[in-house]
Amino acid sequence: MAISAASPSGRPRGRFWTRAGYMGIYGSAFVSTALVGLILLTLLFQSGPAIFDVGNTLHLTEWNPSENIFGIVPMIVGSLLVMLIALTLAVPTGVLAAIYIAETRSDKIKRVVRSALEILAGIPSIVYGLIGVAYLSLWVADIFNLQTGRLILTAGILLAIMILPTILSLTEDAISNVSDRYKENGRALGLYRHEVITDVILPQAKPDITGAVLLALGRALGETMAVMLVIGSIDRLPDPIYNVLSSGQTITSKLGREVGESAFGSTHFSVLVFMSFILVALSLLLTFLSQTYFKTGRRHV
Amino acid sequence: MFPRLRFTAALCAAACLAACQPSDHISISGSTTVLPAVSKAADTYHMETGQAIVVNAGGSGSGFNQLAEGQTDIGMMSRDITDEEKAQFPDIIFTPIAVGRDAVAPVVSSEIFNAGVDTLSLTEIASIYRGDIDNWKELGGPDKPIFVIDKESSSGTRQTFMKVVMGNSKAAAPGADLVIGSNNEEQTAITQSDSAIGMLSHAWFNADVKGIAIKRSDGHLIKPTLDDIRSGSFPITRDLNIVIRNDTSPAAQAFVDYLLSEAGQSYVAASGYIPVK
Repeated sequence: MAISAASPSGRPRGRFWTRAGYMGIYGSAFVSTALVGLILLTLLFQSGPAIFDVGNTLHLTEWNPSENIFGIVPMIVGSLLVMLIALTLAVPTGVLAAIYIAETRSDKIKRVVRSALEILAGIPSIVYGLIGVAYLSLWVADIFNLQTGRLILTAGILLAIMILPTILSLTEDAISNVSDRYKENGRALGLYRHEVITDVILPQAKPDITGAVLLALGRALGETMAVMLVIGSIDRLPDPIYNVLSSGQTITSKLGREVGESAFGSTHFSVLVFMSFILVALSLLLTFLSQTYFKTGRRHV
Repeated sequence: MFPRLRFTAALCAAACLAACQPSDHISISGSTTVLPAVSKAADTYHMETGQAIVVNAGGSGSGFNQLAEGQTDIGMMSRDITDEEKAQFPDIIFTPIAVGRDAVAPVVSSEIFNAGVDTLSLTEIASIYRGDIDNWKELGGPDKPIFVIDKESSSGTRQTFMKVVMGNSKAAAPGADLVIGSNNEEQTAITQSDSAIGMLSHAWFNADVKGIAIKRSDGHLIKPTLDDIRSGSFPITRDLNIVIRNDTSPAAQAFVDYLLSEAGQSYVAASGYIPVK
């Protein structure tokens, strides 16, 4: 509207295109927002039978659709454990490597490493999954002398490799974005190089790094194919619960395994939808958190 | 702007061409076990008659769902249609047609097979899956814990196996150490282990994945060989079905007839299954 008001009247064609353009823009914005709402509503409605019919079994640790027992606790615990392992491995590695790349190397190497990272981030997850099945799981089984390498730990390691590029490149951006003024001031004050990094750069980049970690966390939570292939797909709680050297199941691997074969509209299907609702809720929470952090990050600059 | 518009238009046209195929093509989808035979037959049928056929995987369950919802002309199922499935679509009559037979046999890693465990009774297999027996020592094998591989509960292979072994096609297997999905995955997992037991369609046996004989209560051994499967004496067998609806098209019906003809049956045999005719 603003543009059509600014342009003088008497050019109906131009006005038509302007209006069409606006409608296109509003329309697209509306469609994308509506899609999010629609997905959430669909998930909620389809979860109905899960909550009302078998809601009293959801907190159990046993899964047996033929007897109407739908304990989803093992899947949730599995998802959380895998996520935790992936973050524990990937965050320190990613942040340290990013400091190295951003602070100590020439522009040329920086460019090479950056494009390598982009390629790494773009490799389809099924490829990681195949590598996990063919090599990683065998190595893990050998190292711990176990019968199988398809473990929660293996899935966590594989996920760590998969989210490393995200953490690395975003952290590197965050560090590079710290204004030179701060660094120069730090140096002028006589700080050592490592002091500039720990006391000046990292505190400045911290909100963006947190955002990077949350984004990576979202990817870890939603990853299906690779995890499904290496986690063992057993619907059982690890014993004891922190025993990552046992096979397990995540929400995503459960959905990947069963959603295609469950009858649409059945209780079984409904529980699977309810699990995906939990997944969506978690990732929405993460998105919300990361957006808040990105905002505070910008305020500093 | 206009070149881009034209490009978009071309894209839309291409997408439409892909989506709105001529209605005279036959689409088939479902079980990955039945798929090899059907898709080989479809290739030849297409070359001979020019009839376009699209064959998709997806599993027995989704094959049925797509057929029921009218998204496909023929469904492939490696198990029977359940009562639940029938109840969801009371207005449609489904006709399963067996195009071949298949045996599901217990398989063990070659290390275990070569160490002497080449025969188990159904009771012994059931105890393994229940978790009552957990070392090969107890079955005359080496002193190694048994690595028990189970399949997804929706798998046609598992339902056939569990129905005979445990007496209930949906029986839980508390002794399982690993759950996998497809036949390929199972083959890989057993090859990678030196102490595994699993269940496989006999078309998937190889040097590392050995099908073992089943000991009947009278002491008689039945090996998972083509002869014993054909004669019906091997206990764990199933029909490989294709399913059509009562309102199926003449073109789809013609292909079904072709599958049951001598030429069509030769592809069932070539895929490692037993022809029905």
